[in-house]
Amino acid sequence: MPIDQVRTILRDTLGLGKLRLADDAPLLGAVPELDSMAVAGVITALEERFGIAIADDEISARHFATLAALDAFVQSKLTP
Amino acid sequence: MTTVSAAGAQPFFLPAHGGQRYCLYHPPRAGAAARGAIVYLHPFAEELNTTRRMAALQARAFAAAGYGVLQIDLHGCGDSSGDFADARWLQWRRDVTLACDWLRARAAGPVSLWGLRLGALLAVEAAADEAADALLLWQPVINGRQHLRQFLRTGHTARMLSDGAPDADDEVAGYRIAPELARAIEALDAGDFRPGCPVHWFERSGEDGELPPASARHLAAWRAASVALHEHRVRGSAFWASADNADCPALLAATAAACAP
Repeated sequence: MPIDQVRTILRDTLGLGKLRLADDAPLLGAVPELDSMAVAGVITALEERFGIAIADDEISARHFATLAALDAFVQSKLTP
Repeated sequence: MTTVSAAGAQPFFLPAHGGQRYCLYHPPRAGAAARGAIVYLHPFAEELNTTRRMAALQARAFAAAGYGVLQIDLHGCGDSSGDFADARWLQWRRDVTLACDWLRARAAGPVSLWGLRLGALLAVEAAADEAADALLLWQPVINGRQHLRQFLRTGHTARMLSDGAPDADDEVAGYRIAPELARAIEALDAGDFRPGCPVHWFERSGEDGELPPASARHLAAWRAASVALHEHRVRGSAFWASADNADCPALLAATAAACAP
């Protein structure tokens, strides 16, 4: 499932280890590791993993509300 | 973990354009077979700070293995002269020459360029001019434009999350990048170079053990061009990207193994 790839990238980039990340669990504001530097790092990791380009004006806090929201954002970039 | 003493490291300043460069020389361990010398080229902007510990650990490990290691703070960086806004890529190239010349004046033997992140791209570009005997590349930046975009992105996400005072337009996290420096970095791509010396490429792999597609493509292109390439995939933290000065023991181990006699 693609959302699992996004979950892996989040866990990998934030160093969360095996921490369980539910699809609808709150991310931004709830996961302390997710500061602005980490958000930038996640965006970069998503770009590299999925071969997409994410412009600054596409980055919005709402995309980081939950894992499901982030996955939806990635899928929107992948669908032509 | 073997503890390597830093007692032998020699700090000094080299005169250079705009003033001087802060250098730290790790002499090869007395009694070790002399293996040659290594110039360390540090990463861009804040990554210099997040990577200090890993660079120090590896420099000491190299010294213990018989290599002389010269760390140099580039113009405008670290403890060298100048503000970051004064930094120019061509001057950084001259700083590389300065460091290599200093080493070659002191001992015969191979001189390798060891670069981390953007320092790795600097090493790739400089390798031919400096007649580098080998390239040791840690988590190399392949594309300068992408690297700069990722750096500028941190300023944007900080504003988005209102982490603190907003940066000025040309400044990110306290780093002002001169337009000339930005243009020079954006023009660089590792794919434009064909190193004639052996290249050891160390890069963090994902949970699936794979490198990012762009890295895999680049390495394939270099192999097709007969670059003497040794790829080392490393599991561990992206230590350059976080402020907690984490270690990456796997990278130290992989480097030790690659450089074993």
